[in-house]
Amino acid sequence: MYVNEYRRICELTSSNDHSIDERLEREIKLARNIQAKLLNGFPRINGAEIQGISIPARLIGGDYYDFYRLENGNIRMVIGDVMGKGIPAAMLMILTRGAFRSASESTTSPAETLAAMSKALYQDLRSLKSFVTLFCADWNPITNVLTYASAGHNMPLFVNGKEKKIVDPPKASGVMIGAFSNQVYEEKSVKLEENNMIFFYTDGIVEAENKNREQFKHERLINILLEHSHKSVDAIKKYVVEAIHRFTEGVPPKDDITMVILKIHQESNTISFIHSKE
Amino acid sequence: MLELTVQKEHSDRTIVLNVKGILDISTAHLFEAYIQEIENIEELIIDFSNLEFIDSTGIGMIMEAIYLSQEKQFIIKLKGIDEPIHSILETVGLFKVLEAVQGEVV
Repeated sequence: MYVNEYRRICELTSSNDHSIDERLEREIKLARNIQAKLLNGFPRINGAEIQGISIPARLIGGDYYDFYRLENGNIRMVIGDVMGKGIPAAMLMILTRGAFRSASESTTSPAETLAAMSKALYQDLRSLKSFVTLFCADWNPITNVLTYASAGHNMPLFVNGKEKKIVDPPKASGVMIGAFSNQVYEEKSVKLEENNMIFFYTDGIVEAENKNREQFKHERLINILLEHSHKSVDAIKKYVVEAIHRFTEGVPPKDDITMVILKIHQESNTISFIHSKE
Repeated sequence: MLELTVQKEHSDRTIVLNVKGILDISTAHLFEAYIQEIENIEELIIDFSNLEFIDSTGIGMIMEAIYLSQEKQFIIKLKGIDEPIHSILETVGLFKVLEAVQGEVV
């Protein structure tokens, strides 16, 4: 009798585990859809193009990008990387998104935005032993000046499409979000010209590994950007993603892969926001 | 297979942790175990001479060691960091955090 009872309990537990697995899988898929929706709005700009993509290493990811249209007509953009991976990182990514949108309402520059986000997120990130790196930039479509600040995030790549070369604008550096509550960030700016392209990215691109554990590295990325700099940002995005897939030869990615590309076509631009159907 | 080994040398009131391999999301808990057991020391030296790769979770572990040094009042020194990893730590601002917490960077 005891053996039968034990078997019954085992069967019930096993069936219960199975339904929990199914429910978890469903919920993760829903979470993935939510995240994909949140990463899907791009400004449509006459005279310039902007596109982005984020490919999580796991089902959902901790990389983040966003755009915000400011009252003065400028576009504020942000790209970031939350410490860790998977569901925990995705939860903090949503927290970061809320902080960015809220800070953008009340601040007038990228450095101020990062400082406000640092203040808002510090306690949560410290208690969770986590941090976020962010690069924030304001682009003025009339003057084509890009003003930017970094909270522990790598600088984007600046491509001069006319001369087919990478240029080094002033470097902005700063501490990651989550280290201090009252952090001040330095701000730099650069004047963009026709055929300039700015490639914002997270380290998952250059650190993608192949079977021999070699990394994709900046050189390969730069070569692709220079080779295809005359094409649309959508095409360039696809070339980069395809090149990483070819290089990694099916090795599962260790980190999320995220990029935002801004390309200037003419000196003066007008803007509206769209939601991509991708 | 876990790809991190940590060798600990304890002498007087100094601990040296020799970190070898990959400090990432899959191995960070091994490093964290050594950090969490630190008590009553004056100095922690983390030797990264044999560190091959670090990701954001690994950087988070170094941050934890830095905050612990503040809480438990010991000096922390990072050594043997190669140029690519130094560049990553510099970009995220880790040395600035260390400087602010301890007032010195080694």
